[in-house]
Amino acid sequence: MEILLIPSLFALLALFVPGKVVRVFGLVGGLASVILTCVLVCKFQQNGGQAVTFFELAQNNFGFTSKMGYDGIGLFMIILTNVITFIILLSNFNREVAQNKLFTAMLFLMQAALLGVFTSMDGLLFYIFWEISLIPIFIIALSFGGSDRKRTLTKFFIYTFVGSLAMLASLIAIKSYATSFAIEDLMAVELSSKVAFWIFGGFFLAFAIKIPLFPFHTWQPSTYSTAPMAGTMLLSALMLKMALYGMIRWMVPLAPEALNDFQYPIIVLGIIGVVYAGVIAIKQSDMKRLFAFASISHVGLIAAGIIIFDKENLTAALIQMFNHSLVAVGLFLSVDILEKRMGTRKLEELGGVAKLAPKFGFMFAALALASVSVPFTSGFIGEFLLLKGLYSYHWVVGLIAGTTLVLGAVYTLRAYQLSMYGAPKMASFEDLTWNEWLAYFIIMAIIVIVGVCPQMIIDTVGPSIDQLLESYKISNTIIK
Amino acid sequence: MKIEQLVPLIILLPLIGGIINGVLGKRLPKMVVGSIATAVMFVSFFLALNVFFQLNEATTINLFTVIRLDDFSLFARLLVDDLSIWMTLIVTGIGSLIHLFSMGYMSHDKGYYKFFTYLNLFIFAMLILILGSNYFMLFFGWEGVGICSYLLIGFHYSDENKGLLNGLAARKAFIMNRIGDLGLLIGLFLLLATFGTLEYTEVAAKLAELSPSNWMLFGITFCLFVGATGKSAQIPLFTWLPDAMAGPTPVSALIHAATMVTAGIFLVVRSNFLFEAPGAQLTQDIMLYVGLATSLVAAFIAMRQNDIKKVLAYSTVSQLGFIFVALGMGAYTAAIFHVTTHAFFKALLFLGSGSVIHAMSDEQDIRKMGGLKKFIPITHITFLIGTLAISGFPFLSGFFSKDEILAHALHHNPLIYGALAFSALLTAVYMFRLYFVVFHGEFRGSDHAKSHLHESPYNMTIPLMVLAVLSVIGGALNLPGKHWFSHFLNHNVMGLDKIEELHVDNGSLITLMATASILTLVALIGAYSIYVKKKSLPVEDSQLTGWAKLSANKLYLDEIYDFLFVRPMEALSKLAHQLIEIVILNNIVLGAAKAIGKSGDLVKKIQTGRTEWYLLWMVFGIIGLVVYYLVKI
Repeated sequence: MEILLIPSLFALLALFVPGKVVRVFGLVGGLASVILTCVLVCKFQQNGGQAVTFFELAQNNFGFTSKMGYDGIGLFMIILTNVITFIILLSNFNREVAQNKLFTAMLFLMQAALLGVFTSMDGLLFYIFWEISLIPIFIIALSFGGSDRKRTLTKFFIYTFVGSLAMLASLIAIKSYATSFAIEDLMAVELSSKVAFWIFGGFFLAFAIKIPLFPFHTWQPSTYSTAPMAGTMLLSALMLKMALYGMIRWMVPLAPEALNDFQYPIIVLGIIGVVYAGVIAIKQSDMKRLFAFASISHVGLIAAGIIIFDKENLTAALIQMFNHSLVAVGLFLSVDILEKRMGTRKLEELGGVAKLAPKFGFMFAALALASVSVPFTSGFIGEFLLLKGLYSYHWVVGLIAGTTLVLGAVYTLRAYQLSMYGAPKMASFEDLTWNEWLAYFIIMAIIVIVGVCPQMIIDTVGPSIDQLLESYKISNTIIK
Repeated sequence: MKIEQLVPLIILLPLIGGIINGVLGKRLPKMVVGSIATAVMFVSFFLALNVFFQLNEATTINLFTVIRLDDFSLFARLLVDDLSIWMTLIVTGIGSLIHLFSMGYMSHDKGYYKFFTYLNLFIFAMLILILGSNYFMLFFGWEGVGICSYLLIGFHYSDENKGLLNGLAARKAFIMNRIGDLGLLIGLFLLLATFGTLEYTEVAAKLAELSPSNWMLFGITFCLFVGATGKSAQIPLFTWLPDAMAGPTPVSALIHAATMVTAGIFLVVRSNFLFEAPGAQLTQDIMLYVGLATSLVAAFIAMRQNDIKKVLAYSTVSQLGFIFVALGMGAYTAAIFHVTTHAFFKALLFLGSGSVIHAMSDEQDIRKMGGLKKFIPITHITFLIGTLAISGFPFLSGFFSKDEILAHALHHNPLIYGALAFSALLTAVYMFRLYFVVFHGEFRGSDHAKSHLHESPYNMTIPLMVLAVLSVIGGALNLPGKHWFSHFLNHNVMGLDKIEELHVDNGSLITLMATASILTLVALIGAYSIYVKKKSLPVEDSQLTGWAKLSANKLYLDEIYDFLFVRPMEALSKLAHQLIEIVILNNIVLGAAKAIGKSGDLVKKIQTGRTEWYLLWMVFGIIGLVVYYLVKI
């Protein structure tokens, strides 16, 4: 329970902390969660990877159990959330917003909501946290975002809200067959294929918008580029992972009867996204937009991998989700550093920064290379396994998805070189401050560690994936 | 020490060197940085020599498990046999010399420590590629050398004038390689799907057991070959290599001539059992003709290049094509033999050109050189030896290794022999042209440049001399009739022991050698009479016509690729963004929003706010319900 209480408490207290120390307060809060995560990981391993339930209400008439807990997958998402939140706090430390009480409070609220999403073992609770998470990101983007934010955010809000409603409808529909909202009750429900289709579809709409999958992505590039750095980081590194996680934990296990109908379309949409967004990213001149499209391209691959729904692909998808979060945070930090120091993020107005700011040049280069999945980065293994999985599904799918190898190199290196190479276009450029450097360092360190021993992640999530697949198989055989 | 301990050490040393320099290099004096990097290389080389003399049977060394899933595992495992240890000797040996050379060559560079870090890391990745016991390790190293190559080509990225161009060259190399990598990756997946493993030995064992369909074998070998065309610069993916000359010259010598570009060849030789399987015959033929075409095209382009490094780059492409012809004929030992001698003399030529460029204060245009033999005598002699060796001058290394391939070609198909011999003739012509224009005649540069001319320091000339000696005697490795090198490789390299050696009788051997010698001499005399006697010089590109113009403009291949691939892709990118993204998808969303808005308008008309209307609607509703139930009953 403390895992949720700490960020909530910090969110509340942040509103009353004096303005001067609020950023230090934020950092302490982020660190507290990270330390707690370490403790949880140790405990989890001592207990041999047993699933943990840390909160449960007595059964009531309404069927709302509010059960909360985590297994290996949930723990993995907790680690991701807390580490990324800390990095976001750290990289914002020298920004103006870090001095803002509201901003800090909202960031912690976001963290709490995300942790709630990842630990909910009750359908209704999952939905509640899912919706709560919309509030802080909306406030952050609205209060601290760039131009044209009202229009963009309205679009974003309506889009995701439509998805959420569809998900709520699905949840209520499936609950009507079950005794409670508890996940095991919902999973035990046997559905006719027609009903399963609609329930699956409702979840899918919510998740497809949040990820976003082609063609539900049109809110994403404008929202990413309007939101402040922290907002973009939250959206890309954490919020979209809620949807990918939702696919794994809720969508398929609850309505596995419909997986056959949806598998092929989702894979197709995923790899269309890989190519389509990758191609568009090639000629973008706004760096933030460019990486926004790149993000669509990368997550398309992950979504396609998840929906194959076997152990290898789920593992690969989880590794790649982790990798994507870290890389996305690093890349958007790089874009923000350029924008803050240069006043622009247009590629044609940038250039030659590497010479003036060697530390920044190095770190940005390392991130760019991690983003194109070179050896010794977490992306190398993740991408290898994902492409292998898609290839085993069908070789054409594997081949088309494989173009990400080439497209990724084209747009990422173009963005990096046009902004960093050549003769400097400015007189001076302040190199990384300590907090920025540290943020980069943590990101790169994790990327390399996971890249060298990916087995760590596999061991954490493996048993839980087995369990998940086991229950999924049972419900599937009952149908057949 | 035992092999099991030595080999991991050989691989780790360059990594350690790279890490030390990468982390501390900035604060260390240049001398220390260079010494660390070079020392680890030499130690690695001597350890490799040690292993070389100890090794008898092929040995597998388990390091650790990278990934362990239920039915699928990836291992970090090494396979030490005569092939991999031989390649290790080449990589670490030539690598050591080039590290030593770089200590002098890069001494004025600001990014000194970065350079040595990348160079060490490159060797590390290359050793993984060579020594791995499975295709995953190979792919790991494959991608690793690609990224080091990228970093080193774009090494001078903040150059005022050329920074962006260097970056572009690096990017081009990386992207073209990535296209090949995609082929290789698909090949790996095919292997996994067919054999369920990526270990070389297991694949070979299961090949006999499972006997997959011919088409599958063709698919696998073809995909592997696509990967090889990227890394080893064959048609259609070769245009990155000449551009890669934007990197510092030692890099061109090490990565883009002696080692990395032979990775594709290594891959084919390593997978020889696959390529020899029935069904892969088609791939072999494709390989043969692609190699032949590459060899001729690159030699043709090299004829009219005026940048000293570009000539050598095209020459490399051409020689690699030559080797692929050998692979296409199943002459694996001949291929590795030529890889070896080529590593000697091409590294020598590149380092020699580096010494020239160093003396010329970074001038690379051969039209501004001339008469350099007086000023840089050691470079001159060694460069001459390199030129003779690559041209196939009798009894130098290139003579024997080329002859081996030519003998195979004659045996295979006389037409191919003819084409290869022509390619060899072209090689001799452009190399002698290069040599005479650079070292003979009068100095044509500015007086300022002339005053700067100087021979390079010893740490640069010693590698030249060592490589020159190797270029002379390297042919002795595999003398016709003796074939020590072939026996060495056939001894314990999987698959190669099953391939029958080609035996050429003495009569045709002498005919072959005589023909080759005559061709070389013709080229030598021809080039001498044109460039030394007549003192004619390469003219401006604008004055060239016909074939010469085509050659000078590299067959317009860059322009053609630009027209066929780059621009359509960019146009597609813009089209997708402007048409699909903004017009179509956005309008659908807005349309949906508007439709909802419109429906709201419709409802709004009903919501008039006047009670009598509401009452009326209510009455209608009740009537409707009553009617509905009446009908239903």
